Amino acid sequence: MSLANSERFAVEALDLAPIEGGTSILLTGDDTDALEAVFHRLTAPADDERSVLLTTDTSGTAVKRALSGVARGADDRATVLACEGPDRGDDVETVDDITDLTGLGMEFSTLVAAATQDTEKFRAGILLCSTIMGEIEDTRSVYRFLNSNFLTELRRSGGVGVCAVDTSSDIGADMNSTIAGLETSFNARIHVESTGRNEATLDVSGLDGDDGTIDISW
Amino acid sequence: MSDRTVLCVDAADDIESVSSAIDAEDGLTAIEATSVEDATDRLESGSVDCVVTEYDLPDGTGLDIVETLRETNPQTPCVLFTDVKPGEIDTASFEEMIVEYLNRDLPDAVDRLGFVVDDVITHSAQVGFLVPDSEQSRLEALGEYDVEELPIEDSFSRLTDLIASHFDAAVAFIGLIEKDEEDFLACTGADWDSLTREDTICTHSMLQEDVMVVEDINEDKRFSSNETLHNLGIVSYAGANMTTTDGQVIGQVCLIDHEPRQYSEAQRQDLEQFADTAMEILELRQNLRAARTTEVEA
Repeated sequence: MSLANSERFAVEALDLAPIEGGTSILLTGDDTDALEAVFHRLTAPADDERSVLLTTDTSGTAVKRALSGVARGADDRATVLACEGPDRGDDVETVDDITDLTGLGMEFSTLVAAATQDTEKFRAGILLCSTIMGEIEDTRSVYRFLNSNFLTELRRSGGVGVCAVDTSSDIGADMNSTIAGLETSFNARIHVESTGRNEATLDVSGLDGDDGTIDISW
Repeated sequence: MSDRTVLCVDAADDIESVSSAIDAEDGLTAIEATSVEDATDRLESGSVDCVVTEYDLPDGTGLDIVETLRETNPQTPCVLFTDVKPGEIDTASFEEMIVEYLNRDLPDAVDRLGFVVDDVITHSAQVGFLVPDSEQSRLEALGEYDVEELPIEDSFSRLTDLIASHFDAAVAFIGLIEKDEEDFLACTGADWDSLTREDTICTHSMLQEDVMVVEDINEDKRFSSNETLHNLGIVSYAGANMTTTDGQVIGQVCLIDHEPRQYSEAQRQDLEQFADTAMEILELRQNLRAARTTEVEA
């Protein structure tokens, strides 16, 4: 067995240069709509890719619909593990209890393992990690979950991963301090600042050639 | 690579296939247990580097073993190696115990097992704290300081006495953050030697550039469920980084109180200066030792 390959992942919808495989991105912002829009554009799989997404506040079908809006057929190449909404449609799984990180982690790893059987290129995402943090009693469990079931999968398989945090959420801990900590474990950070209806400025760091600000609209 | 011990747990008829897969991987040595009770005894009699367990066991489940492991050695990784599907596993009583799940039905499952175990040990992949991306460089920078050989404890003890007095704090300490634990080089107001890293607030504080203050750990989910902190009487915390000239954070200078407490901006700056002073003392001692070694060799 081998570790990460050196594939690159296109993110044309955000006018970013292709992202190197194995990159983990911390996506932050206080406007949920803008955060979701950027998340979907980062995680929508291209023709030769698969995506595995964990969603906490949105149904699997809504996420698939959003992916389809980013790239034709992207929804067919994505598997969604949803903590919200009915277990309906192809490649949508649901979990009953968001605080059951033991089960959530095993389900997520199983879906990633299945996705990587089909293709070498995969994207993974968590939308929203802040919701998990708000629900879980001991933040150490969330860190263990991120280390074991998310960052490890990216490191081993060379995928691109996006972990979204709504900074306006109540996570039961100091948000700035938590973000400062999370930032050190991820390779890159994108902060989304909403500037108007369907408009935002991205503050990008840690991505080759893209450090700085980018204005986007959708 | 040093030999690493892996506790393999499975029913008597199946244990051989698991342990032989582990033994086949360079640097890994398997020890066997065939029940929850047997595995618990093994864990209580000595530490291991990783646990690989089947879910269904004669006297319980693999998650019972993980529960014991998280209580005794919280940072030790565990792999659930089973053909039981995640949806069929009863996680209701074990909601926050993260494990690596490896489906035994996968065609290359046995080949994968050795790789996965080696990987989770090497990368400390299941720790309950955030590991900086630059951790390897940080540990190498820390390794440059031969603290055991430096007569530094008296100097640091005088410094923590001063710090505790200056802030009127219950406890002041200087700690170095190693790979798995924090070692306290000096501690005024308490008798602390070392703590598992995921139990320390310093492992969070070191990730911030400025002074980290936790006014009341009961109000912060990163620490409110941490029994070790409660047992030590820790309620409030302030910590400043000890940073090498290359920018690596190797330790912390900290204040602890047994009641909620706030720190002013001026106090935070004072604490940073004390941390800089501790780092200077460490650098000077190290440089002096290096100069003497060179002198003797000449």
